[in-house]
Amino acid sequence: MGSLDSYLPIFFMVVLGIAFASLSFGASKLLAPQRPTSAKEAPYECGIVPTHEPARRFPVRFYLVAMIFVVVDIEVIFLFPWAVDSQSLGRFGLVEILVFAASVFVPFIYLVANGALDWGPIKRVRPVESQPDRTSSSTVRHVGPPNDQAA
Amino acid sequence: MKLLAVLTIVTPHVNYVAILPELILIGGALLLLVSGQLVFAKIPTAFYSIGSGAIAAAALVASLVIWHDVQARGPFTTIADSVAVDGFAIVFLVLVSCILILASAIANDFLVREGIDGPEYHVLALLAGSGAMLMAAANDLILIFVALEIMSIPLYILAGMDSRRRESGEAAIKYFVLGAFSSAIFVYGIALVYGATGSTNLPQIASYLNTNIITSNGVLLAGLGLLLVGFGFKVSAVPFHMWTPDVYQGAPTPATGFMTALAKAGGFAALLRVFFSTFGVLRTDWQPLLWAIAIVTLLLGAILGLVQRDVKRMLAYSSINHAGFILVGLAAATSQGISGSVYYVFVYAILVLGSFAVITLVGGKGDENHDLDAYRGLGRRQPVLAFAFALLLLGQTGIPLTTGFLAKLYVITAAVRAHSYALAVIAMLSAAIAAAFYLRLVFLMYGVKLPVGSGGDEGALSLPVTGEPDDGLDPTGSVPTGVNIGRVVVPVPTAVAIFVTVAVTVVFGIWPGPLVDFVHAAHFLF
Repeated sequence: MGSLDSYLPIFFMVVLGIAFASLSFGASKLLAPQRPTSAKEAPYECGIVPTHEPARRFPVRFYLVAMIFVVVDIEVIFLFPWAVDSQSLGRFGLVEILVFAASVFVPFIYLVANGALDWGPIKRVRPVESQPDRTSSSTVRHVGPPNDQAA
Repeated sequence: MKLLAVLTIVTPHVNYVAILPELILIGGALLLLVSGQLVFAKIPTAFYSIGSGAIAAAALVASLVIWHDVQARGPFTTIADSVAVDGFAIVFLVLVSCILILASAIANDFLVREGIDGPEYHVLALLAGSGAMLMAAANDLILIFVALEIMSIPLYILAGMDSRRRESGEAAIKYFVLGAFSSAIFVYGIALVYGATGSTNLPQIASYLNTNIITSNGVLLAGLGLLLVGFGFKVSAVPFHMWTPDVYQGAPTPATGFMTALAKAGGFAALLRVFFSTFGVLRTDWQPLLWAIAIVTLLLGAILGLVQRDVKRMLAYSSINHAGFILVGLAAATSQGISGSVYYVFVYAILVLGSFAVITLVGGKGDENHDLDAYRGLGRRQPVLAFAFALLLLGQTGIPLTTGFLAKLYVITAAVRAHSYALAVIAMLSAAIAAAFYLRLVFLMYGVKLPVGSGGDEGALSLPVTGEPDDGLDPTGSVPTGVNIGRVVVPVPTAVAIFVTVAVTVVFGIWPGPLVDFVHAAHFLF
């Protein structure tokens, strides 16, 4: 097992890591006094006392823009090494990078055509089937302070 | 000082004809994606389906062109030896093209019924198909990984395509997270194999292993094991099968059928090539491993299939059982076993596409009518559909005069020839166990009398759900209490697709010559 000897330090590192983590957690469970108070259990121990949960719904549009950014970013990452070596890559490299750029551009057309970059009100793409059991009281969850529950 | 000296980079020679099927699929998919966006009118779903079918047909023609090329000139490699063009690859190119053609017909009717418009479904299917083709042709571990991802990522999205059903999204997330894990493990396996052999190119690895005797092969075997984990996940072999029932149940039904056929084809193509052709020298090391995996896969798939109430879950366990059979051929590690496995993959892909096409139809609008009760009396209501489904199920059981029988026969014969009698016996035993749930469904369609009041038209009545509860996790936590047993609509394209799958199953079951000869041409390059 000669070739495995060089992996021995990695193995010890893993064992040490696991041992250290489990020891610290175990020690704090065993030794530390457990006296929870409401202040200690708050998400932030200092600062403004939170009055209500933040809104959980973020516009999905931000994710779309982020994804488009990542795609174009990756394209640039591939363009850069080609640009550096474009001389020696010659015509072959040019053709390949054009094919690559075209295949990234096609989804971009698709995204723009589907309104991924429109920031106006959302247009309905599909007709919505009427569902009588879905009303504003059954589907909308209020995210404000829970004063309406007391009433 | 010339820092930016013009280096001579040797660009690989690319034989574009050799990768034409993949290029057609990818180019066609991109064309399909923009074609609908550049006009303002709403394009009917059928346009995309016909386009997708035509692109797949073009890929089929291109595959046959390469087939003639290989028969004339012999197998060859291209793009710096990273793509192998041999009989083995071409059998899978043809299979994937056929899967795509059939699947686009089946998906069309589903998309129309559910009101899902746009080209996305077909575009993703074509891209996944190109990945599966590339997996079969890949001659380099890195390319196998890239192809695996090209195949898998569209399949993750297809599983979540039906955005109105929560189960569909859940299936997609489950499949994605577990799939990403298995891909990471697969890459680690590649790294270890590279570390041990100094190459990722399959023929180079094989020649290194042939000419060198590795005295301490721990790293190599660990890498091989990790590769097996990655493949095992894709083909749902047993310790890595956990996702299968949930994803099969949650995904839109035509996507389930497509995913099963395609992932099995692509996954097994690469698995057979890597293990048999590349690491054939080490077969005494990996054979026991595959032997054990095959046995648990066979038995667990057959036994857990018995207790399912949901037909899609039942076929999920059935697909695990079938994966076990295909592994039996590989575990034999003979060329006879490999051609048995290839034949099995070919036959099973066609069978499962047809079966899920019927399930799509019976599922009805909303894709939720998948309880066994929905099939009660189908033979009386719709004799033709029920007969087709019965033939497909009998094919999966392995009844003589179907292709399923020959497939099971070939892999079990190969196991016997390789003197692994225990494996052969267990395979036959699991086939007998699995027959119980296939035949139960057939009897349910023909044997049991209909409850009162369901003649043929809108006879929506609630039947109490009886029987064993599901063993696995139900994604919704609720079992459908009302089962709609009216007549199901059978659109023409799906009917044609089902007819083709049944015809292949029966015709090549009675007259096996052509298909067997075709699959026997699946020789490896080296």
